[in-house]
Amino acid sequence: MNRRDALRKTGLLAGATMAAPSLLALLQSCQAEPRVDWQPEFLTEDEAVFVSSFVDTLLPRTDTPGALDVKADMFMDKIWAHTADEAGQAAVRADIAKFNTDCKEQHGKPFAELSEGDRMKVLTAAESTSPTFNGGVWGTAVGKQEPVGFYRSLKSMAIWAYSTSEKVGTEVLNYDPIPGDYIGCLPLEEVGNKWSL
Amino acid sequence: MANFNIDAQKDVTYDAIVIGSGISGGWAAKELCEKGLKTLVLERGPIVEHVIDYPTMNLDPWDMELRGGLTPEEQAKHYKTMRTGFVGKDTEHFWANDEENPYTEVKPFLWVRGHQMGGRSLLWGKQTYRWSDLDFAANAKDGHGVDWPIRYKDIEPWYTYVEKFAGISGEAIGLPQLPDSHFLPPMELNCVEKSVKQRLEKNFPGRNLIIGRAAHLTVPLNGRGKCQNRNRCSRGCPYGAYFSSNAVTLPAANATGNLTIRPYSIVQSIVYDDKLGKATGVRIIDAETNEAIVYNAKIIFCNASALSSTQILLNSTSSRFENGLGNDSGELGHNLMDHTYRIGAMGKVEGFEDKYYKGRRPNGIYIPRYVNLDGGPQSDKFVRGFGFQGGGGRGGHAANLPAVGADLKNQLVKPGPWEFFITGFAECLPYHENKISLNRDVLDKWGQPTLSIDAEFKENELALNKQIQIDAVEMLEKSGVKDVVGFDNEHYPGFGIHEMGTARMGRDPKTSVLNGFNQVHAAKNVFVTDGACMTSSSCVNPSLTYMAITARAADHAVTELNKRNL
Repeated sequence: MNRRDALRKTGLLAGATMAAPSLLALLQSCQAEPRVDWQPEFLTEDEAVFVSSFVDTLLPRTDTPGALDVKADMFMDKIWAHTADEAGQAAVRADIAKFNTDCKEQHGKPFAELSEGDRMKVLTAAESTSPTFNGGVWGTAVGKQEPVGFYRSLKSMAIWAYSTSEKVGTEVLNYDPIPGDYIGCLPLEEVGNKWSL
Repeated sequence: MANFNIDAQKDVTYDAIVIGSGISGGWAAKELCEKGLKTLVLERGPIVEHVIDYPTMNLDPWDMELRGGLTPEEQAKHYKTMRTGFVGKDTEHFWANDEENPYTEVKPFLWVRGHQMGGRSLLWGKQTYRWSDLDFAANAKDGHGVDWPIRYKDIEPWYTYVEKFAGISGEAIGLPQLPDSHFLPPMELNCVEKSVKQRLEKNFPGRNLIIGRAAHLTVPLNGRGKCQNRNRCSRGCPYGAYFSSNAVTLPAANATGNLTIRPYSIVQSIVYDDKLGKATGVRIIDAETNEAIVYNAKIIFCNASALSSTQILLNSTSSRFENGLGNDSGELGHNLMDHTYRIGAMGKVEGFEDKYYKGRRPNGIYIPRYVNLDGGPQSDKFVRGFGFQGGGGRGGHAANLPAVGADLKNQLVKPGPWEFFITGFAECLPYHENKISLNRDVLDKWGQPTLSIDAEFKENELALNKQIQIDAVEMLEKSGVKDVVGFDNEHYPGFGIHEMGTARMGRDPKTSVLNGFNQVHAAKNVFVTDGACMTSSSCVNPSLTYMAITARAADHAVTELNKRNL
């Protein structure tokens, strides 16, 4: 295993213990409360709405697909359902509840019901106060990793779900399943985006 | 290459039996078969045929239901091996089941196993380096452990022999402490690695930074394809580009028509005949049916992996050997070693933002040992030494990107910062009290006694680790690496996955288990040529030495057999 692989795996493990995203479409048009149009395996309807709005705010559709386009929220739900133990699952529920409680206290509504601007404010604030991941070597974080908290974990999981989706992995990032010769140094402009694998 | 002969039922008598099919067992099988011996390989797990049985070799993340994630049940199955950080859905099937195969950690120890045809040769790191007389003479020089019964000149021809067949890529630079192999062209360093190399070698005369010497083909060899830089090695390589028993030695053994391989064969013990004064066969339990069977042979090679080979010897008791076959010295199970690992430094490298690379090179850099060399200054803090593995690449944790929304997306698709790291591997001394023993209170799924493992790093290893940390930080800081962070992660014996010793070679039967040709002193038709035989641990990765020692011992075995000495 090389280091890139290991870094990715570190992120995976960190995310898997705390949280995972999947993709949903939010249907806010004709209903008072946002709903998801998919059937979560682990999340409740309300929790799924939160996760969907979180990943949509974090990784919105631009000129490239957004997190919801690649069903990042649905995949996160699946990961929680199938890889987390009971304690891990309970922690996810508690963390989502806490996140929404904080949103209500500061902005009057749960996260999914906030305006886009307020949602960005919430994430930006969390971004600036959340600890970060240590570097990783061969599958292990180096040094003593302090808990990164729910926001960073969820962000990590959302990025993982997004980046490892087939669409992003083959169309947005640089997909090169069989590189052939290794070229140790070439101009970035000849490659473009980050390699996906 | 299908069609291994797995029908061992019709014949219970062979010329040779090889216990285990990993790196050393595969070599034993190849050499013995090619020399004309009808050889039975006993493998405790399933058959893994090259390419055919590599179910995940071509899967992209999105092809896997959980994209590499493991269910709680799968995590429980590997609850010990998970500590390595290496177990994912892509390789889960090649790591041993920790629940069915328990072991007892008297002190913390990580025992990483691969229970299938090919063993850990499917999973290993492919780093391949010759040892030197700095290693083979180390015990004699400083008095730790017993003297190796061989020197570099004894094994040198066998290094060459196995290298030519295995295929080792690397660069020859003529260091006495790390002799050059018979090399295929080296893999390439990337721009940052070249930059660090230049500065490091300039600022630290006598130290070298080289591309890892690795059992990856950089040109086709014997029908095997060259490395395609996918870095999916541990799933099994469809090109056969890295050395594994499955892709290299077992097909060669099979081609002779002399090989029978019996899967699901758990070796319980070696049968020793008190009257004949030699071993006559091997007692197995069929892992699927629990049937007990005895297979007979003139010679027996133990290649079950360091700890498992010794476990079999300890469990092979007779009136002649009440404490385990070949245990006259009382050293069987003792002198367990590994390499220290998980100590080093990492940081960022600036100035190469407009540079990138192509391919996922399954190899890194190596910094050969530079302390306590023969004829050089000697440390007053420790004996022996350490080397470093590492590498550079564009990484960074995407979740640390200080952005959200569209801004995050823009940053996410760009390569991260260049990072560079090194991590040390230090030699561990052979201590009698670092040991394994049979545990009859904890039985495995088949009712067999398991191992208790009682080993720890001591003063010398801790002193080496301290120096590793100091040197790692200093070397990176003076080689253009910024924001250097030293690390000393939790580690204990076993993490290096280089377990060695417990049936050591030696000159004196009173203090060792094996002689200079890996024969059990008092049962000369039993050979142990895996990690168990090692008398000291060097700081250098051991697998190539297992290959060479095995080929050498097999040659000796057949010579002796032909002379009717066995």
